[in-house]
Amino acid sequence: MANDLIIGMAGSGGDGVVSAGESLLAAVSSAGYHALMTKSFGSQIRGGESSCRVRVRTDRVQNPGGELDVAFALNWDDFFKFGAELPLAEHTVLLHEEEAGPPPATLAQRGPIPREIVSVPVTRLAKESAGTEKAKTTIVLGLLSGWFGIPAAGIEKGLAKKFGSKGEGLLEANQRALAAGIEFARTHPLRHAEPLSPPAAPKGTKLLCDGNDLCAAGALYAGCEFFSGYPITPSTEVMQALTRDLWKYGGTVLQAEDEIAGIGAALGASFAGRKSMTATSGPGLALKTEILGLATIAELPLVVLDVQRGGPSTGIPTKPEQSDLFQACFSAHGDVLRPVLAPTTVADTFRITIEAFNIAEHYQTPVLLLSDQEIAQRKETVDPIDTRAFTIETRRRPSGAELEPYLRFRLTPDGISPISHPGMKGGNYQGAGIEHNEKGEPTASGAWHAKMNAKRFDKLDPLKKRRDLFEVQGDPTAPIALISWGSSAGVAREAFELATNRGLAVKLLVPYLLYPIAEEVYAEFFASVEAGLVLELSHQGQLYRILRMHVDVPKGVVPFARSGANPFRPSEVLARLESLAKAKDTACAASGRKGA
Amino acid sequence: MDCTTTNAPAERKFTAKDYDSKLRPIWCPGCGDYGVLQSLYRALASIGRPPHEIAFISGIGCSSRIPGYTTAYGFNSVHGRALPIAQGVKLANPDLLVLVAGGDGDGFSIGGGHVAHAIRRNCDLTYIVMDNQVYGLTKGQLSPTSPRGLKTITSPYGSFEEPINPLLYVLAYGAGFVAQGTPADMPGLTALIEEAIRYPGFAFVNIQSPCVTFGEDDQQLRAHKAKMQKLDTLGHDPSNLLAALDRARAYGTELHTGVFYRNPEPPPTYEALVKLRQAELAKSAKPRSQVLEAFVQR
Repeated sequence: MANDLIIGMAGSGGDGVVSAGESLLAAVSSAGYHALMTKSFGSQIRGGESSCRVRVRTDRVQNPGGELDVAFALNWDDFFKFGAELPLAEHTVLLHEEEAGPPPATLAQRGPIPREIVSVPVTRLAKESAGTEKAKTTIVLGLLSGWFGIPAAGIEKGLAKKFGSKGEGLLEANQRALAAGIEFARTHPLRHAEPLSPPAAPKGTKLLCDGNDLCAAGALYAGCEFFSGYPITPSTEVMQALTRDLWKYGGTVLQAEDEIAGIGAALGASFAGRKSMTATSGPGLALKTEILGLATIAELPLVVLDVQRGGPSTGIPTKPEQSDLFQACFSAHGDVLRPVLAPTTVADTFRITIEAFNIAEHYQTPVLLLSDQEIAQRKETVDPIDTRAFTIETRRRPSGAELEPYLRFRLTPDGISPISHPGMKGGNYQGAGIEHNEKGEPTASGAWHAKMNAKRFDKLDPLKKRRDLFEVQGDPTAPIALISWGSSAGVAREAFELATNRGLAVKLLVPYLLYPIAEEVYAEFFASVEAGLVLELSHQGQLYRILRMHVDVPKGVVPFARSGANPFRPSEVLARLESLAKAKDTACAASGRKGA
Repeated sequence: MDCTTTNAPAERKFTAKDYDSKLRPIWCPGCGDYGVLQSLYRALASIGRPPHEIAFISGIGCSSRIPGYTTAYGFNSVHGRALPIAQGVKLANPDLLVLVAGGDGDGFSIGGGHVAHAIRRNCDLTYIVMDNQVYGLTKGQLSPTSPRGLKTITSPYGSFEEPINPLLYVLAYGAGFVAQGTPADMPGLTALIEEAIRYPGFAFVNIQSPCVTFGEDDQQLRAHKAKMQKLDTLGHDPSNLLAALDRARAYGTELHTGVFYRNPEPPPTYEALVKLRQAELAKSAKPRSQVLEAFVQR
C-alpha cells in the first residue's frame, strides 16, 4: 500500500485532462486524503496542450513532489511537451491511450524507461460505455480508481455534482463510463500497481482552494476596504475574488487603467483612511515602484501583492519563479526600507496576508507580499483554519490632545506618528512625496531629511524581533542547514523530514519575513552551521545574496538555485544534503577530528 | 462619516481666509497661480464646506504645490498621478469634496493616459489644470501645450509638434463639465471654479495661468485682458456639445473663457453606482469571520 501517490496526465485541450485532475482532487479530498494539484498549459489562449499533476498523500502534502508514480498520456506529442512537469522514473507506471500507439523511440532519451507501460483503449471504452468519446476522462478516473484505490464514492459524488444538472442521460452515461473503467482495471491487473492506503486522519472537513483564493480571503478577513489593480497573470484571481465579494462589506474595487493607476488609487484610498490593497506580478511591480516610494515617504499603509512568475519582462507568465525578491526589497529611489513577506503554502497565504495588512497598518508602511505562481494557482486540501487565532490591527489615530496641534509626522519614541485622514476635524495635513518636517511642511533641510529617514527606518526595527515570522526546525546544534522561502520551502520541509529520518543532523529555517533581514535570527541559526543550502527558484539565488549583504553566512552554506519553471524535487535536495554531510565527515576525518 | 455632501448647507459661514494656510508660495512674483489660488479660496468659501472635508490632490510641478497653500487635507503626490490617487480618495470616502490640480505637463504629458479614464469613470471630482504652455519648475522646457515652433531650452530651433488641445481632449472623452478661465478675470474664474465644484461629476477647468519667467509675452495677463472673449457674450450655448467642440478648436489662437460644455443631464457618478452595488450586495454578506466557508469541501 502506498501513502504517497503522484499522478500526472497530459492531453490536448479538448481531452479534459485538467477537469479530470480536478475531479480526482475533489474525490480524494472528500475521502479524507491530503492532496494538491498543479496544472500547466501551452501558451495558447484556448485549446493546445494541457497537463496536470495530482499528489495524494495519507498525511500532510507540502509540494507537488518529484517523479510520477502514475503517468497517463492521452497522446505522446502533448505528453512530451511537459517534460519538466511530468518526469518519469523507473518505478512509474506509464499508461497511454491505445489509439496513440506504443511510446515513440525517443522515450529512452527522456530519462529512465518506466518498468510498466500499459496501453488502454480509453476512447473505445468511452464510446462503448457512454456512447461518446467525451467520457474519456471519466474512463481515466475509473481506471485510476480500479488500479490505485482512489475511492469511487468520491468520484461518483463529483460526477453527480458536475453532470447532475445537465440532464439524467449525461450523468448516467458518465456513471457507466466510470464503471467501465473500474471493470477494465479489475480484469487487467497491473504488475506494479500499489494502491493507496486509507487516509491517516478520519474524514474531516477540509478546504479546497488555491493561494490566490486564500490571499483574497485573508484580505477580507483583515478588513480590506479597497482594492484597485490591473489584470496580470498570475495574480488576477485575487482581483476577481475581491470584485465579487468586497462590495458586500461596503468596500470598493476598481479595475484601473494601468498598473500605476492601480497602486495610485489604492494609495489614495489609504490616504482617505481605508485599508487598501493592490496586486500584480513582476512587470507590474516595476511600474508601481515610483508610487511605492511615495507610500514610504508619506507613511501610508498599503499591501502590495506580487505573485511572482518567470522573468524578466514577459518571461514565462504561467510558471513559478522566485526572482522578484531583489525588486521587492530594493526597487526604490532614495533610501527605502519596506517589509517583504512571503507565504510558503496555500494554507499560510491566509495568515501571511493578514500579517501584511497588520504590519502595513501598524507601521504605516507599504508591505510587499511575495507569493508565486505555484502556491497562488495550485489547488490543494487545507486543514481547517481557526480564524480566532488572528488579531486584526488598525492604524493609530490621533487622540484629542494629539490634534492640538496636530503633527502628522510627529517624532515619537517608536517612530509611529498618529495618522488622521480627510474628514477628521483638526487632523488636516499635507501628505506629500516631498521631504517634510513633523508638521508635513516641505523642507530641503538636510537635518530634517536625516531625521525623517531615520524615523522611517527605525520604526520597522521591532519586526526583526518577530520570531513568529520564522520557522525553525531541527536540532539547534546541527551543523547542516537548509534555508528556503516561498513555494520552495514546501520542498525544503519534505527534504528536511527525509534527511532527519535518515539520521542526518540538519536544521531548517524558513523566513516569512524576507526583509528587513532579522540579523539576530540568522546569527543564532548559523552559530552551529558548517555547511548548508539556500534553496530558491531563481537563477542567481537572491535570498542567498541578500543574506551575504547582512549576515555572516558560513562559508559552507551555498545557494541551491536555478531558474523558474524547473521545480525542485525533494529527492534531489535530500541528495545534496547527504553529499554535504558526507563531505563534512570526510573533511573531519582527514583533519583527524571527530565528525558530527 | 463625519462629512456632509457637497451641496449641504454649511455648519457656519466660511470666508476665503479660512482656506488660506498662510504658507508662503514658492511661485515667482507675478505668477498666474497666485490668482488661481485666490479664486479658489473664494470659490471654496462660497461652497462653504469646512476645510477638513476637502481633499486636495496634486501631482508635481509649480502649480501642484497649490494644496499646501490651502487648509484642506492635501496630497502633493508624484508627477502625473494625481487623478488616480484622487479617484481612490473619492471612492474611499465619497462624502469628501475632492479637488485635483496640476499643470499642463502633469495632466497632458506624463499623466495624460489617466485623463480619459477619469472622465469615463466619472467620479465627482474637480480637475483644475494651470496651463502655461511651458515647464516652469524645471526651468523652461517644451510642454505638451507649447505652440508649434516654440523655442525653449529643449527646442532651441523651435518645436516640431502640434500642441495638445486640452479642451478638445476632455470634450472628446465625454467630460460633463468643461470650462476655461484666466486669472486676468478673477471674478469670472472664481465663478467657474465654484460651478465646476457644484457640477455632480467629473469637471474640468483649464486655466490659462501665465508663467512670468518662461512664458511668452502674448501669454501674460496683460495680453489675456486684451484678447479674452467671454463665451456667454458670444451667444455660446453650453448645453450644446457640438458648439462646444467647435469653440474648443480655437484653443491656442483665441482665448475663450467661460463654460464650454455643461451636460444638461449629468449621468450617475461612479461612486453613486458603487453605493447602489454595495447596498444591493450587503444582503448577501456573511460575517468577515466566515470568509473561509466558501472553500469548505463537503
